[in-house]
Amino acid sequence: MGEGLGMNRRLAGLAAAALLVLSGCSGGTDAPPTQLQLLNAARAATGQIAGKVGGAEAPARPPLTRAALDTVEVPVLEVTVEQRGDWAFLFRTLERTDASPGRIEQWSTEDSNVTLTLRGGVLIATRGLGGDLLSSAVQVSDARPGPAGGGEHRQLIRNLDYRETALALSCELVDLGPETIEIVERRHATRHLQQRCEGGGGRVVNEYWTDPRAGVLWQSRQWAGPHLGYLSLRRLVK
Amino acid sequence: MPLPILFLRRHGTALTRAVALAVLLAGFAATRSPAQGPLPPEAGSEEPSFTPLPAASLNFYGSPGGIDMPSAEMMPDGTFATTLSGFGGQNRITLTFQATPWMSASFRYHQLQDLNLFGFKTYYDRSFDARFRLWREGRYRPQVTLGLQDFSGTGLFGAEYIVASKSFRTPAWGGAARDGGRLMVTGGIGWGRLGSYNSLGSLGSRPAYSGTTSRGGEPSYDQWFRGPYALFGGIEWRPNDKLGLKLEYSSDDYVTETQTSSLFNRRSPFNFGVEYQWTRSTRLGAYYLYGSEIGVSAQIQLDPRQPVSRLSVPAPYPVQPRSQWAGPPESWDTAWAGDRETVLGLRDRLAEALKRDGLVLESLEVGPTEAELRYRNPRYTAQAAALGRAARAMAATMPASVETFRLVPVSNGMALSAVILRRSDLEALEFDSRSAEALRAVTGLADAAARPGPGAMPGPGLYPDFSWSLAQYTSPSYFDPSLPFRLDVGVDLRATYRPAPGWRISGKLRRRIWGNIKDGRLSNSVLPHVRTDATLYAQENTTLENLYVARQWRPGRNLYARITAGYFESMYGGLSGEVLWKPVGSRLGLGVEGNYVVKRDYDQRFGFQSYKVFTGHASAYYDLGRGYQVQVDAGRYLAGDYGATFSLDRTFANGWSVGGFFSVTNVSAADFGEGSFDKGIRFRIPLNALLGKPSRSGLGLTIRPVQRDGGQRVTVPGRLYGQVREAHRSGLEAGWARVWE
Repeated sequence: MGEGLGMNRRLAGLAAAALLVLSGCSGGTDAPPTQLQLLNAARAATGQIAGKVGGAEAPARPPLTRAALDTVEVPVLEVTVEQRGDWAFLFRTLERTDASPGRIEQWSTEDSNVTLTLRGGVLIATRGLGGDLLSSAVQVSDARPGPAGGGEHRQLIRNLDYRETALALSCELVDLGPETIEIVERRHATRHLQQRCEGGGGRVVNEYWTDPRAGVLWQSRQWAGPHLGYLSLRRLVK
Repeated sequence: MPLPILFLRRHGTALTRAVALAVLLAGFAATRSPAQGPLPPEAGSEEPSFTPLPAASLNFYGSPGGIDMPSAEMMPDGTFATTLSGFGGQNRITLTFQATPWMSASFRYHQLQDLNLFGFKTYYDRSFDARFRLWREGRYRPQVTLGLQDFSGTGLFGAEYIVASKSFRTPAWGGAARDGGRLMVTGGIGWGRLGSYNSLGSLGSRPAYSGTTSRGGEPSYDQWFRGPYALFGGIEWRPNDKLGLKLEYSSDDYVTETQTSSLFNRRSPFNFGVEYQWTRSTRLGAYYLYGSEIGVSAQIQLDPRQPVSRLSVPAPYPVQPRSQWAGPPESWDTAWAGDRETVLGLRDRLAEALKRDGLVLESLEVGPTEAELRYRNPRYTAQAAALGRAARAMAATMPASVETFRLVPVSNGMALSAVILRRSDLEALEFDSRSAEALRAVTGLADAAARPGPGAMPGPGLYPDFSWSLAQYTSPSYFDPSLPFRLDVGVDLRATYRPAPGWRISGKLRRRIWGNIKDGRLSNSVLPHVRTDATLYAQENTTLENLYVARQWRPGRNLYARITAGYFESMYGGLSGEVLWKPVGSRLGLGVEGNYVVKRDYDQRFGFQSYKVFTGHASAYYDLGRGYQVQVDAGRYLAGDYGATFSLDRTFANGWSVGGFFSVTNVSAADFGEGSFDKGIRFRIPLNALLGKPSRSGLGLTIRPVQRDGGQRVTVPGRLYGQVREAHRSGLEAGWARVWE
């Protein structure tokens, strides 16, 4: 009897301890200990899996209508990371120039966790995606958006070992002539430019649909390095 | 106690060898390996790729090779491989590290079921291998590798070989092949185990293996490349990226296993195998060996450059050029600097901005044109990443007239270095075509002042600073012959109180929930039991792991100091002091540490036993570049023995590290016991590689083939060099690519 009680008490102690283990916690300015960080990550992962099992899917892309877009008063850029099928609406958070030609624009997600930076409409940097494009040397001019000519297109990629790797692509620019494209019920008269690049053992084709008179690059498909692949960009609101 | 001079003479050869090895390694580490050409695109794509081609497959000994025989291939530089293999009553687990492009080292644990030899029913053996590539594959010339297998253990698996391999392209077959099919042809000559079947001749005589008398541990160079030699060979065809077919001719006669004992029947020298690349890092194989046995293997190769999860960090603030919001420089006002309210407001806004990025403001001193920020980095592996974020936060909050930023990373109240940046450079270079390199060229690095200036404001509400955590722990123990793997699990309650910068009072209380380390074997050491009483220390469920007061400060230029008193670790408590000299730009650091320690009671409450010792070391740390570091510690160890410890570690920018160490002391091999001298390997896998989120934590492990009492040091929390190095030039430069991230 006494032994049984002791057993029960030990079991209860074990259960309480197990509960403690599963509910590890921390406070203060120090980072949580390794085991707790692992545990928190495991909890987050089971949450995600439970979400998937429970039928909660990734939010579907909302149906876009021009009427809805007309109510938006700030410029909006839509980006799709083709490899992962991820997409986001980006808002312009920075416009500036520096010593090199081409106007710099930084676009950010609403939670500002991801940013893309374009120089004259050409992608020069990404942040917050992992394996990001750190910086780029591109051929652009102040005169009109899109690449200004052929030549070297050099990307510095943040590699997975935290070092940067340079990838030099040599490109030729081909003007495919006028083309009318449609972005959410609105048609734009554009010039279709194609940048065909070779280097790093492979081949890359970037495409740009620009309106030089309005100074807008309406749509593009640009390669952001080996870790991210192609990004599709659409300017939804000018 | 012998005089040091005697000890030097006695161990002179070991020392000479160690020094020669260190010099050799340093020399090779300093020569840059030739740049690799671009990789072919991945199947079904034309885009350039940084994903490496499938690595060399591994044999049953965990080295590149066929099935039971080695080849001349090397794994990609830096790879950690774990190989599990089994056939004919033998199970092997091998950890292999490709330390440099031309050298790999392995540690193996070998189980021979029902061997019934050497006084054990099931025999466990630990062994080390080393492999050296003599020359690389050329267009016509094969790659050639020299290998030493089980070169310092009991010698049961001892073998030496020189092997050549040549690869040929073949058409792809049966699946996607990124770089076409590949045929590898291998032939070699082996001694020892690899010279035991169908030997061609003999070079001198090889001392016989003796399982009962051999203590193991020391390099058995007297038998290398001695005795009978024989030829072995094999071919491997990898028709696509997944599949591999292997055929080999083995020169291992398995005398001990099949003739002295009868683990299996060796009917044929031919082995056959088929392997499948299951995931990018895992390869599985099934084999038919020696005409009688089925074997299996799993090869897990982790390349630190290709972590499981890709680290992604939320995007940083942009640097808004002052020209956009503050007007021309002539109009920039400096009157604000005199107003205490404004300045305190600046500090609070900066502290908020830093907090978003996981950094802690320790102090801010701000004048009309310059500001010094001292900050703590609990989040990022790369100090450069923390630095970049701190600089951006400064640019986002400081008034326009503040042009010079001094950023001082701080560890436990101790300033590590001062990085000086001009705000105009941040503005001009953020979108430069080589932004990281350009910023590095204009960044200044200096020794930080010992303490913040008189006008500095401490972090808002930071001191007294209290942190605590409650988390589970697991504590493994290895290589007990009766049960090779033992484990304790439970919870740790930790608390740290920092009453003022530089002071730390910290403790850890441990509650075991389950464990079997307490059932382990007792010590048979003839030395004072300074480390071998682990079983006695594992008897209680609730223990005080540590409880100490530590103070860290900067006693002078390039100097760092620490004093710690209390219970340092589960076995020792006492008083410890350390001074380190390390200029920010220097590769060399020199330190001295003295500890007076008393052995704690086995119950790990507050009591002590009677064993007291003064132990201390003079240390030299040298950064060889490209992540290689050597360390030499000379002094007195816990058992009162005198000697030196040599270590070599390789740390990758993303926090992976691996290294090895050995100690030679004036304890004789006979007194030391099994293993002859203290040695081991250690590695660390950073959490960010597993979680894909920034973290400074990692899973670390030190493996000693045998834990004895010679050459042992006390573990004192918060040793200085590790804190200091990462914020000095080489540490910052290693992660510099992340400065703008």
